[in-house]
Amino acid sequence: MKKFTLDRRTFLRGALGGAAASIVLPPLHAMFKDSGEAYADGSVVTRFGVWFWGNGVRPDRWIPAATGADFPMSEELAPLEAVRPWLHVCTGMEVKTGTHPHHSGMAAILTGALYHQVGTTRDTIVSTFEYPSVDQVAAAHFDGQTPFRSLELAVTQHTGTDEGTSFEHVSHNGPNNFNAEERSPAALFQRLFGSPPEPQVDAARKSVLDLVSEQTTSVRQRLGSHDRARLDQHLESIRTIEQRLRQPAAECVVPSTPADPGPIDGKQPIAENNTLLSDLMTMALACDMTRAFSIMFSQAGSGVVMWQVGATDGLHYTCHTEGLPQNIVHGAVVFTMQQLGYFLGKLATTEEGAGTVLDNCSILCTSELSQQNPAHDNTEFPIIIAGKGSGRLPGNLHYRSGSKRNISCAALTALRGAGLPMEGGFGYGPGHVDEGIPGLL
Amino acid sequence: MVPPAAEAQLHRLTVLQYQNSVRDLFGADLEVPSDLEPDSKLHGYTSVATGELTISPIAAEKYEAAARAVAHQVVSDEARRAAVIGCELGDDACLKDFFTRLGRRAWRRPLKIAEVEDLMNVVEAAGTALDDGWTGVEFGIAALLQSPYFLYRVELGQVDDDHSARLALDGYEVASRLSYLLWNTTPDDELLDAAELGDLDSADGVRDAARRMLESPRAREAVVGFYSEYLNFDRFASLSKNAELYPEYTPELVTGMQGEIENLFAWIVFDQKADYRDILTTTVTFVNPQLAALYGLDPIEEPAAPTADTFVQRDLGAGSGRGGLLTSAGLLALYAHDTVTSPTLRGKFVRQNLLCEDIPPPPPGVMTSLEGVEGDTLRERLEAHRNDPVCGACHSKMDPIGFGFESFDPIGRLRTEEAPGVPVDSTGDLDGVAFDGPQELQAMLADDPRVPTCFARQLYRFATGHLELPRELPLIDQLGAEFADDGYRVVDLLVELVASDGFRYAALPDTDWVPPQAPAAEGEGESP
Repeated sequence: MKKFTLDRRTFLRGALGGAAASIVLPPLHAMFKDSGEAYADGSVVTRFGVWFWGNGVRPDRWIPAATGADFPMSEELAPLEAVRPWLHVCTGMEVKTGTHPHHSGMAAILTGALYHQVGTTRDTIVSTFEYPSVDQVAAAHFDGQTPFRSLELAVTQHTGTDEGTSFEHVSHNGPNNFNAEERSPAALFQRLFGSPPEPQVDAARKSVLDLVSEQTTSVRQRLGSHDRARLDQHLESIRTIEQRLRQPAAECVVPSTPADPGPIDGKQPIAENNTLLSDLMTMALACDMTRAFSIMFSQAGSGVVMWQVGATDGLHYTCHTEGLPQNIVHGAVVFTMQQLGYFLGKLATTEEGAGTVLDNCSILCTSELSQQNPAHDNTEFPIIIAGKGSGRLPGNLHYRSGSKRNISCAALTALRGAGLPMEGGFGYGPGHVDEGIPGLL
Repeated sequence: MVPPAAEAQLHRLTVLQYQNSVRDLFGADLEVPSDLEPDSKLHGYTSVATGELTISPIAAEKYEAAARAVAHQVVSDEARRAAVIGCELGDDACLKDFFTRLGRRAWRRPLKIAEVEDLMNVVEAAGTALDDGWTGVEFGIAALLQSPYFLYRVELGQVDDDHSARLALDGYEVASRLSYLLWNTTPDDELLDAAELGDLDSADGVRDAARRMLESPRAREAVVGFYSEYLNFDRFASLSKNAELYPEYTPELVTGMQGEIENLFAWIVFDQKADYRDILTTTVTFVNPQLAALYGLDPIEEPAAPTADTFVQRDLGAGSGRGGLLTSAGLLALYAHDTVTSPTLRGKFVRQNLLCEDIPPPPPGVMTSLEGVEGDTLRERLEAHRNDPVCGACHSKMDPIGFGFESFDPIGRLRTEEAPGVPVDSTGDLDGVAFDGPQELQAMLADDPRVPTCFARQLYRFATGHLELPRELPLIDQLGAEFADDGYRVVDLLVELVASDGFRYAALPDTDWVPPQAPAAEGEGESP
């Protein structure tokens, strides 16, 4: 049988600062024939992911000048040249579910619906998602096949403006029901690789979890619909822990923990954190620890200071105030694409079967609006679908809609690219679509 | 008559409430778990978020790990085990007694016999699986802490004798509300005994309990915690200032900025028991070494080696250009950008947080950039927003207030020039009434009836843990009026708030819910 190999040295150099370590080979090799091709029963593993950044792009410097295969890279997409074979850049698409700044676009691209407003007493909007985000649509599809139902990471740190969970989180199970992101590489490492299972301990844990489930079910009966829905999620969360107790351990044990990067001259170590988290996520995917994930590089309307490109103010503020052509904002977009490029490059150089992990991914890369100035534009939404979806997606393509196609098509295409049938289409109300992006699937 | 109360919601403990609770249950020296899901805010408050958000898979994982870590410390340390549990292995009667006693404080109510049996079954099952009796007890304690009855404040209530369309919270539920509001921790035995005796079933009984609790240092900490949330201190965590322009902006200075306001608020509310509005006009301040330097005050000499956590009371005196909440460096820094001030953000803070008048975000499609707009000062350039019919509707509510603080730079230091050769102008107006400088503005706000009413509304939202419903606004107005009649004493406002119907009652749940007193037959008990 052909050996499954990971690019260990590169991984360890990034994650462990060169410390010696050994990795037990992951179990995925069992899924490939000696040739490295998938078995005829279709048991190849495809993953779905979201890579999100806040504050949009500069469309005039983002949109490639020509469409089709071998399209010319734009200034802002240039950092992704190395992963071109896996890229599908989709432009000319529009949000169809309202124009409320940040809120509409966030809910539209990630749930295909209008946002859910939390409380109506005040004259301002606090919003959350009405429906599960697209990564959780995939997580439900893959449920039970991997130790982690999904993984959520965030790279940068910024405390926002108290406008609801849809501003602060990508991954949602439902209204006000988000999956918090891990920002610390050390903590992520611990969660993924830190606790080898012990069957006796797991039996004891199960007796506790069973009781907690019983109590939760019992109290649920006595409550209104609002709290019942919340306890349903609590029960589901307990179930995911119990499910993991039954899973065989992933055989990817790395014996030491990466150190979280500290501030650089008092500033956020963005690239450094991105490198470590990207390496760990690649490892988690290669080891089949999850098949659904999201990485929130920065949150919607993020005010993180992109000091790496000479910014001295928070990005959201700069987006609103910098005069055209907005060179600092542009620089921030280029920097952001470099970070995405690192992650995709990592996936593209990690071997799997006859190809690489990125061959077997379908990753929706996007933001919550097109551009901030003119304020909160929801047309020309930035969308990249990265990966080949185990052969479902062609790669190396720029699709441009001439008719302001609904952005829900992007999520639908990315989900189908990951192998979800999505027979009922994707999205709700004016956000609903039945067809994906032409030419991609 | 529609009862004013809102529907009860399960409120999950905040990180601090979880930590304080396990400390109270197992000993002050316990190493408390820190890796819990971070608190979120909704409508300004963590307490509102805890009533809305759910326990996601990663949160459940963290609760499990935290419960096991606490239980392990309790059982593995023999001294603590003896003090907390006090049983010999195999003495099931003693263990049952222990779980009954511990459960009453952890779940904030008496446990049913069957519930104790369930915990004993976990002890048995885990002890057998791991072939160690004490480890079994450890898992029993972990079960108690992973229970929904510990993680949430469960409020089932009982149909009110006087109004069948609402629920009266029972004494234990009121005790939990009080304790987590005023002390940020689980009720003590005295409060639980009061609940058991029925003392918390009346407004007067709740007033008495609240007065006792407000005497404790824990109340001071919890009420100051409310104020920190009200002013959005959580945003300091990611607030940045340009290091080249503002090298003074350090973590120690931030400690000073937050501590100044917290100390001042506590001093007015608890030490002076003074008129809350004094916080807008006082010249008293509390500074640490870094803040004293920023304010141009004499260095701290007593104590001899002050740290960033050393605060001393000072009087700024008249004519310093500073004095009162809105001229504190913390707020001025919080509502400014990295390199420039923001009359818009500062004005918006006053409008939203002090007057409870919300401002919507800019509409789609407008150019927000001021680059290229003529003008030497930010004031002149912002005129473009106020003169634009689309932008002006909101900017005219914010910017003219915020101009009052132009004598302070982005880290709240006094300045005389906005740029070299451009003197600051801190005149402005509040709803058309002109003022010159922040002192005049604060004096106007101190006399503005919207300020105390808004404060009462914010405190009500925080205390009840939900966004107030339109039907609750009359009750809040009434609390605001009593606040004014009683001389704007925050402690009195809190006492009246917790004694009010909004705090002690809940609306009936909306679904096919079974009343607590009714037999648990299917299909019965539809809410009327």
